[in-house]
Amino acid sequence: MQIFIQTLVTGIVTGCLYALIALGYSMVYGVLKLLNFAHGDLYMVGAFIGYFAIQWFGGSTSLIIPVPLLLIFMMIVAGLGVGLLGVAIERFAYRPLRNAPRIAPLITALGVSFILEDSVLLLFGGFTKNYNAPAFLPFSQSIHIDGVNIDSVQLIIVGVSLVMMFGLRELVNRTVFGKSMRAVASDREAAEMLGINVDRTIAMTFFIGSAMAGVAGVMSGLAFGQISNIIGFLAGLKAFTAAVVGGIGSLPGAMIGGLVIGLCESFSSSYISSQYSDLIVFAILIVTMLIRPQGIFGRPPLQKV
Amino acid sequence: MTPIGVDEWVARSGDRRDQSGWRGRLGYLDARVGWWQRLFLVGLAAFVYGQFVVGGNVNYAQTGFNVLLYAILALGLNIVVGWAGLLDLGYIAFFGAGAYGYALFSSHAFGNLPLASGGVMLPAIASIPIAVAGVAILGVLIGLVALRLSGDYFAIVTLFVGQAFAEAANNVAPGTLGGANGLFGLQGFHVGSAAIGSTLGYYWVAVIVLVVLMGLLHLLDSSRTGRAWRAVRDDSLAASAMTIPVNKVKVMAFAFGAVVAALAGTIFAAQQSSVFSTNFSAQTLILIYACLVLGGAGSIGGAVLGGVVVTVAQQLLSSPIDSAYLFYGILVIVLVTRVRPWRYLAAVLAAIVAFGVAAHAIVGAISHRAIAGSPGSAGWFSTALRHYVIVPRGEPLTYGNILYIAAIVMVIVVVQLKGIRRLIAVVPTVYVGICCWEARLTLDPGITAQIMIGAILIVTMAARPEGLLGTRRVEVV
Amino acid sequence: MAPLLELEQVSLSFGGLRALHALDLHVGEREVVSVIGPNGAGKSTVFNVITGIYSPGGDIRFDGQSIVGHRPHAITRLGIARTFQSLRLFLNMTVKENVKTATYGRTRASPAESMLRLPRARREEVEVEAIAEDVLSFFGQRLLGYRFNQPAYVLSYANRRRLEIARAMATGARMLLLDEPAAGMNPNETHEITELIARLRDERGYTILVIEHDMHVVEGISDRVVALDHGEKLTEGSFHEVANHPEVVEAYLGRNPEELQQ
Repeated sequence: MQIFIQTLVTGIVTGCLYALIALGYSMVYGVLKLLNFAHGDLYMVGAFIGYFAIQWFGGSTSLIIPVPLLLIFMMIVAGLGVGLLGVAIERFAYRPLRNAPRIAPLITALGVSFILEDSVLLLFGGFTKNYNAPAFLPFSQSIHIDGVNIDSVQLIIVGVSLVMMFGLRELVNRTVFGKSMRAVASDREAAEMLGINVDRTIAMTFFIGSAMAGVAGVMSGLAFGQISNIIGFLAGLKAFTAAVVGGIGSLPGAMIGGLVIGLCESFSSSYISSQYSDLIVFAILIVTMLIRPQGIFGRPPLQKV
Repeated sequence: MTPIGVDEWVARSGDRRDQSGWRGRLGYLDARVGWWQRLFLVGLAAFVYGQFVVGGNVNYAQTGFNVLLYAILALGLNIVVGWAGLLDLGYIAFFGAGAYGYALFSSHAFGNLPLASGGVMLPAIASIPIAVAGVAILGVLIGLVALRLSGDYFAIVTLFVGQAFAEAANNVAPGTLGGANGLFGLQGFHVGSAAIGSTLGYYWVAVIVLVVLMGLLHLLDSSRTGRAWRAVRDDSLAASAMTIPVNKVKVMAFAFGAVVAALAGTIFAAQQSSVFSTNFSAQTLILIYACLVLGGAGSIGGAVLGGVVVTVAQQLLSSPIDSAYLFYGILVIVLVTRVRPWRYLAAVLAAIVAFGVAAHAIVGAISHRAIAGSPGSAGWFSTALRHYVIVPRGEPLTYGNILYIAAIVMVIVVVQLKGIRRLIAVVPTVYVGICCWEARLTLDPGITAQIMIGAILIVTMAARPEGLLGTRRVEVV
Repeated sequence: MAPLLELEQVSLSFGGLRALHALDLHVGEREVVSVIGPNGAGKSTVFNVITGIYSPGGDIRFDGQSIVGHRPHAITRLGIARTFQSLRLFLNMTVKENVKTATYGRTRASPAESMLRLPRARREEVEVEAIAEDVLSFFGQRLLGYRFNQPAYVLSYANRRRLEIARAMATGARMLLLDEPAAGMNPNETHEITELIARLRDERGYTILVIEHDMHVVEGISDRVVALDHGEKLTEGSFHEVANHPEVVEAYLGRNPEELQQ
């Protein structure tokens, strides 16, 4: 039972991270119908920004500012930085291709992913870096219930994720931006004719989606410690799985999908074998696609004759 | 001259353009040389390279082999993506499956199984057909399942099939598949006592495979099957209304692609005499896509040309002197083709030279150490650039990193500007780019090559989505 | 003589929307039948159920054989070919290739035979070439000569409509379903289409079912006219009977307000 609950907790925590990345995937797919393969790399860039924020304030063992301040600073800087990076990528790589054949933006996304990964490699080298979070977020601050450990980092992750998801929901459902985003997602040309600034809406969508990936990067650095330039690919792939399982283009779908993937991964690695956990996640995706290609929350596309 | 109608006059207007100058002459040549003559020229070029250029240099032979391998892979991908219009992101799995198939049947891999002590050391003539046929069946099965989905969903499922393959090769049955250590000690191609032992030998094998494959695929392209593929790509509903069994035709394209990839995989495995799951990563897949889209999806010649360009570019980027030729060559070509008229071009070029010399002199006057480092390029470039670029002594990494970011930001700014401002901004941008190249990028050729390929993909898609030899397509969404 | 195509009590709904309801329709050998009706009456849906894009309730028989549940390519192979209202050519293929593509169902050469150019593949290619030139020559000079090798996307609107008909002919079908063949054409071209449809029947022996809005065309070509509204047949008969039928007039023009007031 202890193992079960511990696994559940781990699953929920990783699930939250996947969900944050998956939301960005889904939003971008919603407005542009683009599979943005560079999204996982934005998460990686976020993790690096967080790492350098720690170094900036004296390193993990000799921080010169209080820990809560550092955490807030890291997340804000990573969110802003990665958000702006996302906007820049949209502006320079994807915008010229709005009316190009479907394959063009996809290939461009692969190119952007190459550039991000290798630029980080060039700038910061290939060694894995370590957040060394336990040095300033000690394990003693964790909660013990019946032998189940809940780390303070885990609480932070779940808390921040919930706040961001809730905020996003309100943003999409209640604000003018949310309305224009949904309008652009359902028909870009019609939205443009109705006076919606499509370029700005798309840029904003990229900003929000990327910023969430950036914050997720920081939090994963806190939770797992080690970061390198290649962590984006696998995380991106899993988040993508989450988005697809939930129904790509659907925001609640991305959240649920993230949790599903996180739980599957943690249960399969503690009950079956950690070697096979990735394989199991991919198998889930393939099976989901075949049974219900539109995902849990997606709507099947209409065929027009 | 016979009179022509208005319709025809309009229709031929394209022909009348571009008939003067070098473009016109090229176009004329292009129209004169038939497809089979071109294939002959490709074969001849490959022959000349192997016979006279390689000359015992193993590196040259390896480069030639890699070019051919990527060309073959791009040809196979062209069937699926270029002709049938299926975005197959799991293509790499079939390449890997072919390689692993060959490896299993021509090595000691099965040695730990009962009944097969010492492994199944089948000769290539037996293991290649087994591997290829196995992959063909696999391709049909995966195709049958995956093709129930269309468009993006198909792309997603195949992407995960590809990832699942790499994961499986790494984790499943490590005793047999070798896990992360891979399989090694593979037998080379041999028939009786005649064996292929050198890279050049595999180069010739690959030449024969490529030329034969190009010929066969060209014949297939102009047959009912080829037409059916292109029809399904253009409009699958209309295709089904025109007697084409859409699903069957798609599965066929998928399986044909898989077979070509598997064939390439067997040659690759034999040449390497080892296989690792990391050989079949997403990176390799992206490279194959780079070949195809750069050359032009839908065109046999394009796929092969893409294979040549991408592989050669990678090779050049790994050597300091060659990469310098490539970098400065591209820089000059871009400036010459993008900056018009000629007097502006001359002014910009002169300004770039003057700007650099001035910057070098000013910085040198302030601090001698700031210009004391030597440029990263080798050969006469290095000497020529010594009094041009600013490379400080010590700490080249930090300085170079700053320049790298600066160069990217400046390129972004230049793209935003218009008219004369852009021309002015180009000057410092080019200079910073050159400094960055000399101070930083030449130090890590491997990384630089990847970044360049990423950039090439982005620029190609923005400037010419149909690729070098492809024809522009209209797409009805 | 049994009709070539027979629809019996055909019904189809999309969710709650009833697109077709208990529709009976028959077309005799070498007959030209027009389907008319206001927008949304279910005319194109009739074509879609006949050609197998949707699977309806009821029965559809072609030449005595039930074709409900067959897939589109199988139905075309049996002998019913169609054109599309929204023009669905293979735009990136040449004019000639468009037509050749439609002969897929009439040829048998496997990919291996094609790659090696074995006798059957060679023979079939020659036949396909002849079929293509034959059906394209049916349209006079419009799709001949230099047009053969032009991509379909450079064609004018009218020529695209012609090419769609040529493509349908090349499938080897006995019956053609033409979905608004005169839509978007100028008066000259409309007149030409009227003659063309007559020639299709007289010279080539096709049985033809047409959807058309242009009443001059309908009048000029039809042996019989069927009027649809809300997925149901209002009436059928000669052009003049149908055109003057009160329900048809009402479906197109609405009810006379004076009558409504009574």
